[in-house]
Amino acid sequence: MLEGNFWAIKNVRLTLIAPLIVATASVSFAPRAEAAGTVAGSTITNTATANYTDAGGNAQTATSNTANLRVDELLDVAVTSADPGDIPTLPSGVNQVASFTVTNTGNGSEAYGLTVTTALGGDQFDPTATSIVLDTNGNGVYDAGVDTVYAAGTNDPVLAPDASIRVFVLSTIPGTSVNGDRGQLSLAAASRTLTGAPGASANGQGQGGGDAVVGTSGGDGSANGAYVVQAANISFTKTSSVVDPFGGSKIVPGSIVTYTLTATVSGTGSLTNVAIADNVPANTTYVAETMTLQGASVTDATDADAGVFVPPAGAVPGRIEVALGTVAASQTRTVTFNVRIN
Amino acid sequence: MRILILLFLLLSPVSGHAADAVALDSSVFVEREVPAAGGKTKIVLEEPKVVIPGDRLVFILQYRNTGTQSAKDFVVTNPMPAPVAYQGTSDTVAQVSVDGGKTFAPLASLKVRETDGTERAARPEDVTHVRWVLREPIAAGAQGKLSFRGVVR
Repeated sequence: MLEGNFWAIKNVRLTLIAPLIVATASVSFAPRAEAAGTVAGSTITNTATANYTDAGGNAQTATSNTANLRVDELLDVAVTSADPGDIPTLPSGVNQVASFTVTNTGNGSEAYGLTVTTALGGDQFDPTATSIVLDTNGNGVYDAGVDTVYAAGTNDPVLAPDASIRVFVLSTIPGTSVNGDRGQLSLAAASRTLTGAPGASANGQGQGGGDAVVGTSGGDGSANGAYVVQAANISFTKTSSVVDPFGGSKIVPGSIVTYTLTATVSGTGSLTNVAIADNVPANTTYVAETMTLQGASVTDATDADAGVFVPPAGAVPGRIEVALGTVAASQTRTVTFNVRIN
Repeated sequence: MRILILLFLLLSPVSGHAADAVALDSSVFVEREVPAAGGKTKIVLEEPKVVIPGDRLVFILQYRNTGTQSAKDFVVTNPMPAPVAYQGTSDTVAQVSVDGGKTFAPLASLKVRETDGTERAARPEDVTHVRWVLREPIAAGAQGKLSFRGVVR
């Protein structure tokens, strides 16, 4: 071990630059290294050449010894969740897919062991991981029966430097979970060669015959994903108000009854294709073109707007229908229509 | 070219030959930060045992005129090893090349042409060769040290 900066020039005074043209050894350059760095097992070779003129005026060349360094294998890995956010699920759901990406951030080809942890704090339930699946066909999507189920020690994914693989964790959601509950899981990948404190090394275990050195990741990495139970419910209420022909609120022939239908979505997530339909009550007649949705009129005709009035046909009473489409949790939709008492 | 030089050296007797009057020795060390007293860190140069990408290297060239007469027009050229990115030198006589050794100048005055045709200032990692041009003759028995730093890509 040599301490300090002894390598600075101290013993020669060489400040003038002479305009010399010197033939130098030609060298060919290897391709630039990858992002993960120089590949493990490569050799760093350094040779210098001195050219000078001897006392007899002859050009002379001296070539240095070659200093060689073998690049050792750096063990590093990064795991990230490949889901855009919490994964919507339902109680008792099976084969619920959580996606992760495992990337070899070291400089040598390395096999990684994969493990899943579901007993994590800060959530309401523990999903049960039923299998880990490797994205064998590389399309980034879980394909049942196509992608390969992972078995530790048997088909550990081997990744070249900078290469990555998509990994799916399939889970069962407890039936006891309720709306809004989150359940976290963690996928960990660990270098098969060595894990531990950064800087720890294993003699001769690196790719290319050098040492294997644990990098800043510790040779392992993990990432969390989360399932969230999104069960949306819908409730309907119906109220009525009456205006009689004399300005009062008596229920007499000729009185106008306004029905107000309210749909409320509760829970989390959203409901799709929500529709309201209501029969025109017996002994009343629908007042044409009185439907409203959220306070705005909708026509009776079957057309681009959400509402339609279906006239009575024989014994079947007339009815109003309003398509509400997708309604997110904690939103309401209000529909009104008028009938006249016969 | 290098092979020819090596062959030449192999075929030539070493002792007393004018061509071998200057010896040049190349060595490389790894620069590491180690804990020091008072919670500080100090930088030490170690013999390289384990080398990984990102490690800082110090290349040292020692020359010595082993002959009986001075050597003049002394120029040392060191091609950068491909896996190493140049990180500078404290030798004021050093010049660098970013074009495979065709032209040499201080790094700050060099330009690199990108594949799209635009020119930009050369960066340390562009350096392909380091060269030291010594104006003063190396007297018989005199010696000196040249160095540059690099980082493992």
